[in-house]
Amino acid sequence: MYQQNGEDVFVIDAHVHLWDAREDNIVHEGGEEFIQCFYDYHTTFTPDERQWDMSEYRHYGADRMVEDMFGNAAADMGIFQPTYLTDFYDEGFNTTHQNAELATEYPERFVLNGTFDPRDGDEGIEYLEELHETYDISGVKLYTAEWRGDSKGWRLDDEEAFRFLEKCQELGIENVHPHKGPTIRPLNRDAFDVKDVDDAASSFPELNFVVEHVGLPRLDDFCWIAAQEPNVYGGLAVAAPFAQNRPGKFSEILSELLWWLGEDRVLFGSDYAIWNPDWLVEEVMEAELTPEHRAEYGVEWDLETKRKVMGENAADLYDIDIEEKRRTFQDDEISQQFDLGDHYASEEPAAADD
Amino acid sequence: MSTPDSSDGDSDRGSRSDSDTVGPDRAAVRDRLDRVTDPELDRSIVALDYVDAIEIDGDRVTVRFTLPTAWCSPAFAWMMAIDARDEVETLPSVADARIILDEHMHEQEITRGVNEGRSFAEAFPDADGDVAAVRAELDEKARVARQYDAIETLLDAGLDAETIVELTVADLERSAANPSAASAETASDPTDDDEREQLSIYVQNRAVAVSVPAAPIDRYLEKARETGVVSAPDDVLFRTPEGQPIDADSFDLVHRRGRLAQVNMSSQGGICEGLQAARERRFEGAGDD
Repeated sequence: MYQQNGEDVFVIDAHVHLWDAREDNIVHEGGEEFIQCFYDYHTTFTPDERQWDMSEYRHYGADRMVEDMFGNAAADMGIFQPTYLTDFYDEGFNTTHQNAELATEYPERFVLNGTFDPRDGDEGIEYLEELHETYDISGVKLYTAEWRGDSKGWRLDDEEAFRFLEKCQELGIENVHPHKGPTIRPLNRDAFDVKDVDDAASSFPELNFVVEHVGLPRLDDFCWIAAQEPNVYGGLAVAAPFAQNRPGKFSEILSELLWWLGEDRVLFGSDYAIWNPDWLVEEVMEAELTPEHRAEYGVEWDLETKRKVMGENAADLYDIDIEEKRRTFQDDEISQQFDLGDHYASEEPAAADD
Repeated sequence: MSTPDSSDGDSDRGSRSDSDTVGPDRAAVRDRLDRVTDPELDRSIVALDYVDAIEIDGDRVTVRFTLPTAWCSPAFAWMMAIDARDEVETLPSVADARIILDEHMHEQEITRGVNEGRSFAEAFPDADGDVAAVRAELDEKARVARQYDAIETLLDAGLDAETIVELTVADLERSAANPSAASAETASDPTDDDEREQLSIYVQNRAVAVSVPAAPIDRYLEKARETGVVSAPDDVLFRTPEGQPIDADSFDLVHRRGRLAQVNMSSQGGICEGLQAARERRFEGAGDD
């Protein structure tokens, strides 16, 4: 658990991957460009002394991931968000099956999400059912700009996508994480356009829509939609690392999010391995809103808000009992491996005031 | 923050070395390019340091540019390339402008398409339509972001929400001696004049005039006209992001959406700047990669 001024904060990193971008897994030049672009994001927002080499970045493996996530108690849990990209990578870039390598070894520490692609039709429905049956998934990560043959993307408000959302509802897969990030689609229609979330969210009020990367570079569209749809949440991955080298901008983005969505609907995520919670959690926890932004927006980045954004909001969505986890983690395998027992030993209850 | 002159290696500021040829002055070309914006960031491609080189050969101009990442939307790249070509070709001394996009996943389609006068749909046969809709949407966002600065200027001058939402184009009157600086064709450095210029805003049935800096209002008006929300003299100046007149009760919310649009653009600008720097470091370190 992260400790700040004697207070504990339970951290759920709500956006992590175990990917494979080794050259022998790449089958399309898009696969190489994709990992190179990720690496540019990595080096842009990672402190110089914490940057990885390209070779380890391509494939870091399960052990390294466990150590990076939990070794210094930066994160207590992680939520896997798969990114298949099967047209680019032979075995996929970061599939549910790949992530399951760790999630099944440490089921208490990881949440495993699945995915669907409405272009797969009936086969896709079967795959979703299979994922649910095999791994008991309660969330899906959706990559609407994924290439598939001639298709360069799909929309969440397509009729076919609604069929899959109905299936999610039927199976009890309540958390839908559409990736809405920078435009990479080489076409004019914008497959990361966030507007398709609007109709989906109002049509499926019982599902939660966690828009990853808070829609950047469409923060404005995202906030406006989220302000009207109570089941729309914002995932901080990509916005979070601004805390490291653009603190004023981070203050501004966070202030907007807290103003438009409120402190109950923003979730921390590192986007590991683009960024490492090892240093990023501290950067976000120690970040401060500028006096100008606090005055302008009337919001605070205080302990209560941090507890919600860093863990409690994700815990609510995924039915995670933080107190129970805390007891379990006092002597689980990971706490033993990294000597973390003290982090979970305190009798002081974690915030349960809501 | 950015230095417009750092984009090409030649020492060209104030240089007249090209003037003995039939071709244009390098400064005039760059001034034209300075009017081309990254449509997502609403900032000049010169200020953003995308322009790598300006080559002048008689009355032919070649402009090379690079974007922050190979994944930058091809539609955005296309818009910038087309705009650069069109802007440079407005110079009477230029017969032909050639635009080359480097280090982009679709550099060939874009460079060939733009220089051969094809449409986006011809250059990208599997596209769903044309780039006009994307451009219109980004222009709307730029308009909303600029509206924030314009309205802040009016609030600073003491106007209230009820007054601001009812202002029309006809309520604006330019009070400085140089009313057409913004449209001068090759003004060498119009910035200083622009900064000082004032507008008079007539309120209370034209009984009272309030003087405000003209630049933020002009910047807003430029986009408002481009997007068609303001054309006739009696059109209300300011609109919701959806283009509707603003109800005074929702003034604060609409104004906040303008602020949000700015935060969005500047955040994306931060990401682009970072990617650009990271990519340059990678190319420098990679040799012939």
